[in-house]
Amino acid sequence: MDANTMIDSLSTQFPDAIYDTKVESKIRIIAKVKPEIITDVCKYLKENLSFGHLCCEFGVDYPGRNEIEVVYVIGSYDHSVVLTLKAILPRDNPEIESVVPVFWNANWYERETYELFGVKYLNHPDLKPLVLPEDMLGEWPLRKDYKGFPNKTAKNLV
Amino acid sequence: MAVEQSDYEEVPGVILTDRNAISDFLKTTKAQDVLNWGRKNSLWFMVNAMGCCGVELLSTGMAHYDTDRFGIIPRNSPRHADVLIISGYVTKKYLPALKKIWDQMPSPKWVIAFGDCAISGGPFYESYSTRQNVDEIFPVDVFVPGCPPRCEALIQAFFELQKKIEAKQDKGTEY
Repeated sequence: MDANTMIDSLSTQFPDAIYDTKVESKIRIIAKVKPEIITDVCKYLKENLSFGHLCCEFGVDYPGRNEIEVVYVIGSYDHSVVLTLKAILPRDNPEIESVVPVFWNANWYERETYELFGVKYLNHPDLKPLVLPEDMLGEWPLRKDYKGFPNKTAKNLV
Repeated sequence: MAVEQSDYEEVPGVILTDRNAISDFLKTTKAQDVLNWGRKNSLWFMVNAMGCCGVELLSTGMAHYDTDRFGIIPRNSPRHADVLIISGYVTKKYLPALKKIWDQMPSPKWVIAFGDCAISGGPFYESYSTRQNVDEIFPVDVFVPGCPPRCEALIQAFFELQKKIEAKQDKGTEY
């Protein structure tokens, strides 16, 4: 099964939720997904298209478009195609369903995206900050409009 | 019958142990020099590797440099240690733990800021998570610049600290 058949299979299975598909090369395909059914899409990818390995999951902030993208990069143990799945959320209240029931390793990725971007994952088993201290929660330091950098206060720069 | 503390103060020629009278008396005599001689030759440091400078810190304590010659011995418990070496950038999350280590160390105690990160934050100085200017929080006696400094630089820092203690210029004790 090559990249084109995979993207066709995904589009026919979820005609309303998958859009802006693109086959970049023989091993890279890109698709955007409606955030409501991300868990179903991931389940279909894992069970029918053997995308069994979630390489990473992260957020991208677009203050100009007032959007936050959550990006899933999903690979496979059986074929060489890597799928980049993007879900677009509103910046004021970013909420998306957790994919931990499908890919268990998404647990820490989602906790980190939560503490750095403020994306709230629904039905996550343990949504709390991963690395940052608890009192920095709510600052969302990787958003583009973050103002808390201490860059002018260092005294002994060497 | 319970005796009020104020009664003690009126006894002439008696130095009370509930005040700093004995240590204040010692600080003005040669006895303090003898004490400082002892202190400067037993600078046991806390093994607290906080970053890549921590590797240099660890190898300084190993057999190759043989710092036992100068009384500089790595200790694995803050309750045994005299010197806290801040060997990396201090994040907002790590600062409470570092303060706890510092509070567990018995006096007299000294601090060495080891490496660029400990002095200013280094390459991470404008990160959202870095706590800058740790010398405002800890009484740092010696700064060792370098990224990372070599083990010889750390031994040099201990020598500078020894000189400061001998000259009663260190921040670990009030003279």
